[in-house]
Amino acid sequence: MKVRDRLLLPLVGVLAVLAVWQMTVILYRLPVIVLPPPLDVALALVRLLGTHAFWRDVGTSLFEFGSGYAIGVLLGIAIGVAIGESRTFRLASTPVVESLRFIVPFAWIPLTILWFGTSYTGKIALVAYAVFFVMVISTSRSIAAVDPTLSRVGISLGMGRLQLAWNVHLRAAAPTIASAARAAAAIGWIAVVAAEYIGASAGLGLMITNAASSLATPVVIAGMIVIGLVGAGVSALIGWLARLKLDYR
Amino acid sequence: MRAQRSPRAQAWLLGCAGVLVALAIWTLLAQWLATGGGVINRLPPPWRVLRDLVAYASGELWRDLLFSLRVFTIGWVLGATSATLVGLTLGRVPMLGNVLIPVIEAIRPVSSIAWVPLSIVWFGFGLTSKVFLVGLAVFLVVIVYAIDGSRRIPHDLERTATMLGMSGWQRFRALVLPGTLTEVLIGSRVALMAGWGTVIVAELVAADSGLGAHLIAVQQSYNVPAVMATMLCFALTGFLMNAAFARIEQRLMPWRHDVDRP
Repeated sequence: MKVRDRLLLPLVGVLAVLAVWQMTVILYRLPVIVLPPPLDVALALVRLLGTHAFWRDVGTSLFEFGSGYAIGVLLGIAIGVAIGESRTFRLASTPVVESLRFIVPFAWIPLTILWFGTSYTGKIALVAYAVFFVMVISTSRSIAAVDPTLSRVGISLGMGRLQLAWNVHLRAAAPTIASAARAAAAIGWIAVVAAEYIGASAGLGLMITNAASSLATPVVIAGMIVIGLVGAGVSALIGWLARLKLDYR
Repeated sequence: MRAQRSPRAQAWLLGCAGVLVALAIWTLLAQWLATGGGVINRLPPPWRVLRDLVAYASGELWRDLLFSLRVFTIGWVLGATSATLVGLTLGRVPMLGNVLIPVIEAIRPVSSIAWVPLSIVWFGFGLTSKVFLVGLAVFLVVIVYAIDGSRRIPHDLERTATMLGMSGWQRFRALVLPGTLTEVLIGSRVALMAGWGTVIVAELVAADSGLGAHLIAVQQSYNVPAVMATMLCFALTGFLMNAAFARIEQRLMPWRHDVDRP
């Protein structure tokens, strides 16, 4: 692709969308509550960045996400490896895992509030749950799909079952697991935001629902942009970490 | 002994054993936490959840479920249709695609969940705001499949079609449209869970009717068994929709074996 196609045309697209947005506001004389012009949103965003409360909200959401994500990924990979390695365990756990998987994380939000109140713990548990199932399913499938030749080589080299799981299967499955970890990050991040809508004492989700109920639409849209940027940033970071660790691929 | 049993029977036995063990752990936890009074001091045993589920199913469940399903279906159909049309246009008109696909890629990381407060400001608490959210969720998933499908027509086929003297419209009808629609069908199934999850969040936040509103109502009266029963309703509905659509997909596209895609 030429430079023109890669840089110039997307810029034209963004400008066109902004122009349509601005024209809609002017033509239909929309009040700021319904749709603020792009400049208002940009100003609201700049003002947000200067406040202390905003950074506390970002910090809270990121902390809840990070803790839950770490727990969910580690547990998910561990259980996923066990399911992938042991046929008995796989057959016994499949119905339970498959039925729990259909209770989407969002449906747990009211229950986590009953159990843990509006504290961090509830959100951490929720993110861990959301991430856990993504990781279990992709880990167990990718371990089961490892080239049997690799296992045979390992066995003929005298590896035990644990060694085989750790040194051969987990490594062969690592790229798939890494991309699942990236997808799980997006899901976990959204689960945090959704949980904060319904019961929280701080966080980005609470910030935009508060702004919406006081009809500060520019702040709502600015908050949505921040949520999107943080989500994209987190998933890019995890992709980068994975590439760093998986150089041998 | 194990060798004589068929693998199918063994899978059934082990599966049942797994479920029983899970239920036993749940019951024990409920017993233990009821007296111990830890953080989770309100964990009802399985049969109380089942009792509440039966009570709900013989009462208002069907009305709530119908409402949630109506929101979901309208949103899903609107989202998938508009994504197909936009995807075809952007995929087949390179100029438009180059300009607008980056814009769509920029919007996609802002999940439909983040639109909930804005949608309530725009459309209020009624049906419209929920349909908008579900439609958006489905659109953001299906658009990727639609663009991909409309672009991935093999070049050989396109050249052959031109050589056979097909007109632009004929090529579109016979080649581009079927190719795109197969991908859209897969995207629509992937979007099922995204759309259903969005229904849940939208109904929890703008709780006026539907399963989500019921979930919030029983939560506010601290009725844990009823909360868990409602969660089960969400899960069962999601499961049935997924199974039904997988069936339809297999019927329509028997050459696709990888129905297990997430």
